[in-house]
Amino acid sequence: MSSKKPEHKPPTSDRLLDLLLDALVERQTQRQAAEAAPATETPPAEEGAAARAPKARPPAKTRVDQKAAEPWPGQEGWVPPPKAPPIHLERVLVRFLILVAVLIIAVNVPVTRYGVSLARIMPDSAALVIRDGLVLKGSGPEIYMLQNDKLRWISSLDAFEHLGLKWGDVHVVEDAFLEHFEKGRPIHVLLKCHGSPHIYRLENQQKRWIRDIDTFLAEGHVWEDVKMVDCVYLRGIPDGPPIPEDAGTPPQP
Amino acid sequence: MNDLAVIETVLRNRYHFFIEIRDGLKLQDKMRAMLLSSTLFLALYGAVMGSTHSLWQALSSAVKLPVLFLATLIVCSPTLYFFNVLFGSNQSLTQNVALILTAISVTSVLLLSFAPIVLFFLLTTSGYQFFKLLNVGIFAVSGWMGVLFLSQGMQIVAAAGKEGQSARRIVMWLWVVVYGFVGSQMAWTLRPFIGAPSMKFELFRQLGGNFYSNLFASIGELLGFFVVR
Repeated sequence: MSSKKPEHKPPTSDRLLDLLLDALVERQTQRQAAEAAPATETPPAEEGAAARAPKARPPAKTRVDQKAAEPWPGQEGWVPPPKAPPIHLERVLVRFLILVAVLIIAVNVPVTRYGVSLARIMPDSAALVIRDGLVLKGSGPEIYMLQNDKLRWISSLDAFEHLGLKWGDVHVVEDAFLEHFEKGRPIHVLLKCHGSPHIYRLENQQKRWIRDIDTFLAEGHVWEDVKMVDCVYLRGIPDGPPIPEDAGTPPQP
Repeated sequence: MNDLAVIETVLRNRYHFFIEIRDGLKLQDKMRAMLLSSTLFLALYGAVMGSTHSLWQALSSAVKLPVLFLATLIVCSPTLYFFNVLFGSNQSLTQNVALILTAISVTSVLLLSFAPIVLFFLLTTSGYQFFKLLNVGIFAVSGWMGVLFLSQGMQIVAAAGKEGQSARRIVMWLWVVVYGFVGSQMAWTLRPFIGAPSMKFELFRQLGGNFYSNLFASIGELLGFFVVR
């Protein structure tokens, strides 16, 4: 029925002896090859023996030569290494993914009363990109805007709001960082109402009357800075000293 | 969970994995598993990068980083395929895409492995330029490992067609250069991923400049030569 006879397997002791013999032959051949010609390649017939005797460690140079003689992955005669046993990496990956996700959430949860999270709790100055329009504050109450490498003091809350800024835009930095920059002209808000020719500068929550156009221009103001507001609102703002201070009693709008 | 098992096969039994791709075994399943795994890994790494700026930036980067890799894959894979065909390859486009996805999977899992280190620096330093360069370095190392995988995979998958083998090897490395250029420009187009601390959150920043000039400027600022504006 079956023409195939079961293959005869030699006893284990014989196989071990064969392996040992192969290893000895391999070692002897390598020694002879090293003595005769150091660069001689190992004959292909002996590669099998070398593979079967992993404990026999030939000299380093011969191993390199052997490796060079081995086919590259994908080349003819190349045999892929045996499959590595599973280590269930996917379980480790799932745990690692959960850990990273938890860490991301943890560093993004606000921890201070200002809503600052752990990820953004470090002082800002070393992390800032210096650019026009950067809003900075030191230890004092003054808030500055950086323009053309100069710090321009924002003189009032109205000016701050007029510039479209929010408290989230203000970066608190060390005073030493502010000292790196020259001081520029302060940023003021100029107010005027319909039906009145007078222009006032808002400063420290007071309105300061600007006497005339020459003074207006001499102070470095431009018409674009003038903001139109309601006359009632303007009258409600307390008067400050006029500009210049000897201009006399300021008129009401 | 099952889809994540593909990562173990890629990392530990890559030769067998490439042989299966060469033989076209369960290509669709492999590609789906790699796509899902790498999207997940890249999304988490993106969230880590964006956390330095704001929660919105973290969410935005979590979406944008997988998009960056997949868009680059879509843009670049036809070039590799047609040039390989020109030099005698008999691989299908699906096999090509599967190989590139293998490289992306390796890159993404290595990126994810760097996530705790990035988080550590995020919590202990505030240097924006340093953080940016740290990430560029991490992407370079992980990307290089992915490219090595792609090279090995190409060698095995392309073994069937002997004609033009050396030419295809050159094509593969030239393609890697092109892939790097396209990827970096894509990243520049989709920026910000980290978000400058002094700027408001924005989904996309206006175009202008390029990745390389910004990289050199960042190195210059870090070494104290000038200030990036």
